[in-house]
Amino acid sequence: MIEVHEVRKQFGAVQALGGVSFSARDGQITALLGPNGAGKTTLLRTLVGLLRRDHGTIAIDGVDPEQDPLAVRRNIGFLTDQFGLYERLSTREFLTYFGELNGMAAPDLRRRIDEVSALLGMDDILERRAKGFSQGQRIKVALARTLLHRPRHLLLDEPSRGLDVMSTRALRHALTALRADGCCVIMATHVMQEVTQLCDDVIVIAKGHTVAQGSPEELCRRTGIANLEDAFVSLVGTEEGIAA
Amino acid sequence: MKPKFLVVYLKELRETLRDKRTLALLSLFTLMYPAMLGYMLNHQIKRATKPERDGVEIAVIGAGQAPTLVSQFKQRSITVKDPGALDEAGITALLQAHTYPAVLRLSDKFGENYAAMRPARIELWYDSADDNSKQRRDIDDVLDAYGSNVASARLLAHGVSPATLAPIQVQRFDTGTNASRSAVLIGGILGVLFLPAFICCMPTAVDSTAGERERRSMEVLMAQPIRPWELVIGKWLTAASLAIAGVTLELALAHAILSWLPLEEIGMSWSLGWADLALVCLVTIPLCLFAAGLQVALAMNAKSFKEAQSILSIVMLVPLLPGVVVSMMELKTAGWMYMVPMLSNQTLLREMAKGIDVGALPFAMTFACSALAALLAVGFASWRMKSERYVLSV
Repeated sequence: MIEVHEVRKQFGAVQALGGVSFSARDGQITALLGPNGAGKTTLLRTLVGLLRRDHGTIAIDGVDPEQDPLAVRRNIGFLTDQFGLYERLSTREFLTYFGELNGMAAPDLRRRIDEVSALLGMDDILERRAKGFSQGQRIKVALARTLLHRPRHLLLDEPSRGLDVMSTRALRHALTALRADGCCVIMATHVMQEVTQLCDDVIVIAKGHTVAQGSPEELCRRTGIANLEDAFVSLVGTEEGIAA
Repeated sequence: MKPKFLVVYLKELRETLRDKRTLALLSLFTLMYPAMLGYMLNHQIKRATKPERDGVEIAVIGAGQAPTLVSQFKQRSITVKDPGALDEAGITALLQAHTYPAVLRLSDKFGENYAAMRPARIELWYDSADDNSKQRRDIDDVLDAYGSNVASARLLAHGVSPATLAPIQVQRFDTGTNASRSAVLIGGILGVLFLPAFICCMPTAVDSTAGERERRSMEVLMAQPIRPWELVIGKWLTAASLAIAGVTLELALAHAILSWLPLEEIGMSWSLGWADLALVCLVTIPLCLFAAGLQVALAMNAKSFKEAQSILSIVMLVPLLPGVVVSMMELKTAGWMYMVPMLSNQTLLREMAKGIDVGALPFAMTFACSALAALLAVGFASWRMKSERYVLSV
């Protein structure tokens, strides 16, 4: 459960977050929609305690990431817009590194690596070094890293970009399994089809403010527009925001 | 459970050891310097000892016409060989073979002109590109002495005092000793001997900070349950390990070569035992830690691998500066020199090479000054990594 209330963040003269409030429940996949530059990255960084907020409250299972960032991070799987692979390490070594950083013991870690590898269908690249991996292979490894330590919360920044059809299906399958496990998943995305198919809840942010929160159907109903994409554009305000 | 900094350390070390090209370059540098040093000193020793071992040989074409000259050469222990008649190309080939520093050719009419008291021509052939000016000077001296001897005898026959021909008398004194010349040399050698401490840690320090930032994996890493100081310490220790390995290897190799060479022949001394060397290596560990700490602290602020590399290549020259200044201003060894990292190591090794018993304090100071600087650098790097401005720029 992630609860965010009136969070503001200012960098010099730039107001990156001007008041973001939402709650993402366990056992649900929550989409984070917003044009580029809306403050999604700043919001995610604030949630893992990399940035300090100027105002407001954040509680992740009741813990404030500013007070105890390590406890919060142990319980979060964070997939950024960069994969962060190491070319000279094999997939297994990469996963072992991050498992150890998350305090996992060796036998458990070995078992878990095989588990996530089976879940994402990446047995073929487990012993290979990351140099020369395709985009799809890279994101699979990054995703495996995110899921490795069985976090209760997942913050995913565009997890499906660059994936082929089979991998997208595998990802969708994995996310559904996590939801069934009772995980709280927040997923920033630009693919509306994914939102309608997968997400139970949608948060729309624009220019650092929460514009709306609700299920895809609710958002359509509220705006009186049947198509989610058009509803999103109307909520954000201008078409300009999307291009920016 | 392994401490977090150890997890980072082991991962960075594994990655570094897999970068074969960088490792090859580092070991080449580390091994090449002592090898070059050995070759250079050996060459110098050979040159310094050569004239005593075997006398100079000279080729004189038509030696039979000037028996007095030949005997004067013999008195100066210069052996005369007559290679027989040779043309210009033959003489050049003879000189290029480096057996003779010079070739004299007496013209066919030498005897005739000599007897008639006309100037008798002697051709002196030499190769100025050849490195044997000292031997050529000996030959010139013999020729001059021969000429003035003959002139004196002739003047005397005419009733004129030979002293008329020598209005002045020049006597040369060279105060430069081998020892003073080699003091400059050994200063230069020691200055560079500790450089691997700075060079060997550079690739890792840059790759694990600026490189990681450039590849955009730093943000992921910082979002893990690990404190910034643990991350910095892991990366710092990896870079320092390489520096320690490099500098220890180089010192050991240089020591083996310097103790094996007969340095006293050129007035140098290297009075260190292996136990002394082990002590020097021990107090050089903090220097490596400082070098790695400084480089991590600087490289982490660079946006790209290339930027970090250019910053560090400039910074790498800074530790050499105090040593250069001290040797240029010809300062006497003083206590404060043991408080400057790098300079303290150089001073310590120089004093020990001279065979001076420095006592325990310089060792302690050398160790402490670098250790303190290392802690400051790592403290700064950790503080920097924690700052929000750094998070924003990764």
